[in-house]
Amino acid sequence: MNRQRVASLMSSVTGLFLTIAIAFAIVVLMILILSDEPGRAIYYFFIGPFTRAYYLGNMLNQSIGLMFTGLGIAVAFKSSTFNLGGEGQAYSGAIVATVIMLALPNMPGFVGGTAAIVAAILMGAFIAGLSGFFGMKWGTDQLISSFLLSAAVILIINYLVTGPLDDPTNSMLTTPRIGQQYQLLRIFKPSKLDISIVFAAILAIGTYFFMQRSHWGYEMRMCGLNREFAKYAGINVEKYLMVPMAISGGFHGLAGAIVVMGTHYRGLKGVTAGLGWNGIAVALIAKNNPIAVIPAALFFAYLDAGARAAMLHSDVTFELASIARAMIFFLVTAQALYGLFNSKKKVTK
Amino acid sequence: MSNTSFPIPMLHSTIRIMAPFLLAAIGGLFTELAGMLNIALEGLMLIGAFFSVVLAAATGSLFLGVVLGILASIVAAYVFGFISLNLRANIFITGLATNLFAEGLTVVLAFQIFGNKGVIRFANLSKLPDLSIPSLQRIPVIGDIFIGHNVLIYISWLMVILAAIVIYKTPFGLRIRGTGSNPGAIEAIGLSPRRYGMYAILISGFTCGLAGAVLSLQMGAFVPGITSGRGWIALVAIYLGNKNPLGIFIACLVFGFAESFSNYAQGIMDVPADFILAFPYIITVVAMIAYSIVQHYRLKGSEG
Repeated sequence: MNRQRVASLMSSVTGLFLTIAIAFAIVVLMILILSDEPGRAIYYFFIGPFTRAYYLGNMLNQSIGLMFTGLGIAVAFKSSTFNLGGEGQAYSGAIVATVIMLALPNMPGFVGGTAAIVAAILMGAFIAGLSGFFGMKWGTDQLISSFLLSAAVILIINYLVTGPLDDPTNSMLTTPRIGQQYQLLRIFKPSKLDISIVFAAILAIGTYFFMQRSHWGYEMRMCGLNREFAKYAGINVEKYLMVPMAISGGFHGLAGAIVVMGTHYRGLKGVTAGLGWNGIAVALIAKNNPIAVIPAALFFAYLDAGARAAMLHSDVTFELASIARAMIFFLVTAQALYGLFNSKKKVTK
Repeated sequence: MSNTSFPIPMLHSTIRIMAPFLLAAIGGLFTELAGMLNIALEGLMLIGAFFSVVLAAATGSLFLGVVLGILASIVAAYVFGFISLNLRANIFITGLATNLFAEGLTVVLAFQIFGNKGVIRFANLSKLPDLSIPSLQRIPVIGDIFIGHNVLIYISWLMVILAAIVIYKTPFGLRIRGTGSNPGAIEAIGLSPRRYGMYAILISGFTCGLAGAVLSLQMGAFVPGITSGRGWIALVAIYLGNKNPLGIFIACLVFGFAESFSNYAQGIMDVPADFILAFPYIITVVAMIAYSIVQHYRLKGSEG
């Protein structure tokens, strides 16, 4: 029994390794083709994030938002609901939190900050929950509706940030700055790494126990495994079309709030851009395991940091990271890639 | 245009605007019938848009640009299909991968080639030739609305007719439909559902490539994310159109009209640009929900 588990773990680790190796190979190939100084670009892509404490700190900081969104997606996927609206949910969380903090300039940090975070979570949960609700009530495809809703929400928030909420004293497309008392403690200056990374790690562990040990977690996992079976086991499967979506949206809203409070201190236009798609990548790499979300988020933060360092120090552009990410998306669920190693194991058993 | 009242130009531009939706949706119909939810339409279209306009400018030939743009999109579709079908990956995730890859690739290439991540204009590019038939154009209203568009618009209509014939009147179409509805039967007659799935994906690559070419060549420019959700909207159009070519044509007409109307509204009412951009998504999601409500109760009615 145990040996089987080890074998399946081995095959998923080797498959993952292969996926990442292929993704990196493609990036190297692209750099070789496109760059005039490929050696330099490749060096900074891979080593760059570790060359300065500042880069390293920012990389760790970047992973915080990814942990939250990765957890949100992991919960949804584990329950077989598809949330493709993470981008809009995170953005809406960021803006709602910003608005609340701006509206309460004299509130003690803890009280106003909590209010902002709760509101952000509710906002994300509401938007994702809508898709869940339509799916539950009428069978509307959640995958498509969550994406479309999010796309509309992003544009409407863009309007708010550049229009009514715009900071007139600043030429950037952004809201005014939030009060000092709301800014999370930075723990690795001069980088932007803040204290919320600890909170993210604790939340990951909490989510693991929620999914594994709680009643809701159990029922959600059952629905994820087999909705039909779960139904016969007496589980209210309809409810679990909506609940995991709302939880997932809540995580995204939280991510948005934390990114504003910890990193930017403002509701910039596109402040959370990329968090949603990256969150999906994180959850996939982590195989929807909340604990594994932590290293997976660090990995994607590394990928972004590497691309950013390569852009700063050579002639390639940041979007190389999105190509690497896309390659990982392509291959991470490719069963054949994993089976490659599995088949051998089966013979020996 | 002789007619000055606004509905006519608005309907005229509806016909122009709906073409990319129509092409993407018709290709997506093949994959849908073959039993796959193809969310890669957006990315395939983006690849077609980029390569067709860049290569049309590079070769100086619109025709070559269109052909090569379609080819690029077919290659991307093949990769998408190969990984989904042969390597047995989750097709939602590979579809997302295709979209993200297209987004990344077009920006990286634009930056490395043109040193620019913004709008890339091609001044030397000639305009797509318009089809002008003066005798037909003189027909009031109908002539104003339907005649005088560029040739790709009419090709998109031909595609719909062609698709209808292929799907309903050929053995190939029957097999594509069989792949979705009863793959076991396809296997039983000695054919491979996987292969027909791949054909469907390649067809969607073809039409999405053409859809992208329509977008970028009409503009004579490449804008990052030029497809702005059209692939997704096309996907919804397939459902709203009840998975048949005529229905899809009508659904795309509605979406085209909605966009044309919102463009027009912007001109007279000073609506913020972001709202105009959000409008198609909102209309689409509302339409989708309305459709699922109708389906839901129809199903319930037939059960009771």
